[in-house]
Amino acid sequence: MSLLRSLARNVFRHRRLELDLDEEVRSHFELLVEQQMASGMDEASARRATRLELGGADQVKEAVRDARRGASLEQVWLDLRHGARALWQAKAWTAVMVGSLALGIGANTALFSATNGLLFRKLPVSDPDTLVRFRSAGPNQMRTDVLFYGYTGPDAQGRQVEPTFSYPMYLQFVADNRTMSGLFACAPFGSPNVIGTPVRVNNVPVTIVGVLPPEFTGVEQVVGEAPDVSLPIALEPQFNQPQFNFLESRLDRPNWWWLEVGGRLKPGVSAAQVQGSLTGVFQQTARAGFDSFLSSLSQKERSRESLQDRTLVADLQVDSASRGIYDVNTTDVRAISVLTAVVALVLLLVCANVANLLLSRATAREKEVSVRLAPGATRARLIRQLLTESLLLAGVGGTLGILVARWGQQLLPGAAAHASPLDWRVLAFVITVTTLTGIVFGIAPALRATRADVNFALKANSQSIAAARSPLGRFPVVVQVAISVVLLIGAGLFLRTLQNLRQVDLGFNPRNVTLFQVRPALNRYEPKKQNLLYDQIGERLRTIAGVRSVAWSDPRLMSPRRFSTGIFIQGRVYSPGQRDTISSMGVSPMFFETMEMTIVAGRGLTSRDTEHSPPVVVINEAAARKYFPNESPIGRRIGSTLENSGRLEIVGILRDAKYNSVRDAALPTRYTPFSQSVHDNASFEVRSSGDPLTVIAGIRNAVRLVDPNVPLIDMRTQLDEVERRLVQEKVFAQAYTLFGGLALLVASVGLFGLMSYSVARRTNEIGIRMALGAQRQDVVRLVMRESMILVAAGIVIGVGGATSASRLVSTLLFGLAPTDATTMAGAMTVMVLVAGLAGYVPARRASGIDPIAALRYE
Amino acid sequence: VKTDLLQGTLDLLILRALILQPDHGVGITRRIHQITKGTFDVKPGSLFPALHRLEEKGWLASQWGESENRRRAKYYKLTTAGRRQIDTELANWQRVSAAMAWAIKATS
Repeated sequence: MSLLRSLARNVFRHRRLELDLDEEVRSHFELLVEQQMASGMDEASARRATRLELGGADQVKEAVRDARRGASLEQVWLDLRHGARALWQAKAWTAVMVGSLALGIGANTALFSATNGLLFRKLPVSDPDTLVRFRSAGPNQMRTDVLFYGYTGPDAQGRQVEPTFSYPMYLQFVADNRTMSGLFACAPFGSPNVIGTPVRVNNVPVTIVGVLPPEFTGVEQVVGEAPDVSLPIALEPQFNQPQFNFLESRLDRPNWWWLEVGGRLKPGVSAAQVQGSLTGVFQQTARAGFDSFLSSLSQKERSRESLQDRTLVADLQVDSASRGIYDVNTTDVRAISVLTAVVALVLLLVCANVANLLLSRATAREKEVSVRLAPGATRARLIRQLLTESLLLAGVGGTLGILVARWGQQLLPGAAAHASPLDWRVLAFVITVTTLTGIVFGIAPALRATRADVNFALKANSQSIAAARSPLGRFPVVVQVAISVVLLIGAGLFLRTLQNLRQVDLGFNPRNVTLFQVRPALNRYEPKKQNLLYDQIGERLRTIAGVRSVAWSDPRLMSPRRFSTGIFIQGRVYSPGQRDTISSMGVSPMFFETMEMTIVAGRGLTSRDTEHSPPVVVINEAAARKYFPNESPIGRRIGSTLENSGRLEIVGILRDAKYNSVRDAALPTRYTPFSQSVHDNASFEVRSSGDPLTVIAGIRNAVRLVDPNVPLIDMRTQLDEVERRLVQEKVFAQAYTLFGGLALLVASVGLFGLMSYSVARRTNEIGIRMALGAQRQDVVRLVMRESMILVAAGIVIGVGGATSASRLVSTLLFGLAPTDATTMAGAMTVMVLVAGLAGYVPARRASGIDPIAALRYE
Repeated sequence: VKTDLLQGTLDLLILRALILQPDHGVGITRRIHQITKGTFDVKPGSLFPALHRLEEKGWLASQWGESENRRRAKYYKLTTAGRRQIDTELANWQRVSAAMAWAIKATS
């Protein structure tokens, strides 16, 4: 018989085999009896003699079973069945155990997968280590227009690092390349809107020549949303939206730096060698590009102050792009690390819980262990049984954990939420940690139990066993209380931060305003016709029932976008190179009225401010304070360059309003008439008298009547737009509240279990005390003191931990310190109240003990 | 004289006992008793595990049959592989017994 066949037979036809063996042993017995009788014995003595000789049919059968192939496999199967049955019997225990395992495993897997994706994963292309990215570092005056994507902050030496280059420069890199096997350039084309059929992009017919795998989300960042379409850079002129009156392509402009450039190293070449080989090319091209830009200008344009004395050129910086061209967004890293702290605590909590549960179960099972040891079960066999149970729990918990992880990923903020598939190594790690906890705390009591003298354990009552258990049992409860306190303090801090942020005076009224954006440039509207379109849409919107007023702006209030420009005040003296900046927003007539913003001096902007009327501007109080500290700005003139500092007349001052951040103070801002400058899109603001939802259908219809081909982009309420700026704080508050609540629950259950157990153990003692005259409240006090000591220890550790970690979150909070006394006190109060309740129930039960019954008890 | 069986000798004894004809457990015990001139008396606790082990290795095949006295009994018979195995086991045994003989001579 082949090995597999006998294995299959032994494992799967177990019952048949057993019956067969049974019969074989019985027939053997009968044959032996016959043989004895043949030699002259009577039947009774023949049977007795045979029974003696055979020496126990069951031992024979057990010996045969052990000799069979797959005996150990069969035992594993038996252990599994026994384990499953034992777990099923303790349903509540198993549910708590599996639930906490699934939560810990799931939360940790989701978060560490995201961390791994954000911080460590490489681009999903072949040989990502040979990819390099190009950036410029240090002061650079060789460009006039620049677009940044991704990180533009300072590098380790404090130099400004910028990621973009001009197209002619890219071509020069390609021409002079000696160190790389390939070079590429890329630039995001705004939002890639697919209009009409799949092969018409922004009304340009294109042929799809390939499909990228889903895990490749571009070369910018490892995790991110994949663009729907990728287009050759040479098509840029056709997709370029007419912006700022420039209709020609960016490809030809040497002074526009907008491309991200990267390449692949030739074998044996380092990034430093590439940098050495191309730095000269870079700086020459930069200078040549700027010179050719200057020579293309008229004499008057060339003499602009802003173009004088431009000499500084940046250094080329080439480094690895194995993890993409972008560095990870610092807010994402911060958000992820705060959440990582939470889930790490949750993992610790789960381990403490697993330990606690296993310890309590082990105590309950000490008698079972003794019973099984008595007839001769081996220690190894018993330990294997307990191990199987731990692994079974880990298996079920892990499976559910994967589901929790998939669900949990949807809740992550920022770039971490999309993409980044679950990392199986992380999952394996987390399951290993929890399983090891299970093994340590499941096996340690088992070892102790199996070492115990069988007779002693069987005879002993629960007191003697309990005495040995206490210190081990208390430790997890203290840890759980400490973790709960940390999480509760975090929840309190972030909830109050959110509350403070929601109460901030925005300077405008975000209620009952519906927003949507149109981008007529995508439909090839020319700039002049765009303003006409906006007027027509505005006209239509005003006729909708329930609409009180309509305005449009670029950008909208509280969007993530911010425009800023130079501010030069007519009549002031500026030193060369000096340039102040101011935030800027283009707004239509009725904008201030629609958003309920207050003009504190002068006038607002009206429909009489058109492209043909004199250019005017309204500034806010912050700008007035900063640039006109001791004078009235009304009637003064400003401009964005020194040459045109007389262009805009200040006609009004607006009360401060937030621009794109709830947190930051209002930025010095100028508001210009929408029609007096060029915008490639407009965000409409529609104020309704009631619920914004009631006017949405009307809005869609109104725009369709004006031009059915213009799509409405990003339709939402202004309140929603404000809430979007608070997403990070909301996620923190949610995570801390959710996990804090769970921790509280787990800690209370732990405490309740421990105290109930302690009361049961001390029934005798309590009975004696009561018999000697102790009152009910004395007993309650006695038990409560025991639990409150544990809670107090946990709170001290928790508050200490939270205080020492407070530095890490202080920048994330708003309107309160990380050691905020109210929050701390609140967290402690909640903890004490809930723990008090968890401790009071057993204490109450203890006080109800009947002294007579208690003294008889065991 | 009854002697405990040396590890490994039991397999050879069982195979040898079945060389002439198939037999049941009691018959095999009797046969071993005979061919070892009463030296070895195999207990069921050793016999049955050995029989099942040899069957799993494919050297024995079993079948339910009737005994001389019309009693149901499980009969074991040598397979072709079992017959070949006797030679191997014999060679092994001879090597062991020769070694033992030398060892005893060397020490005496």
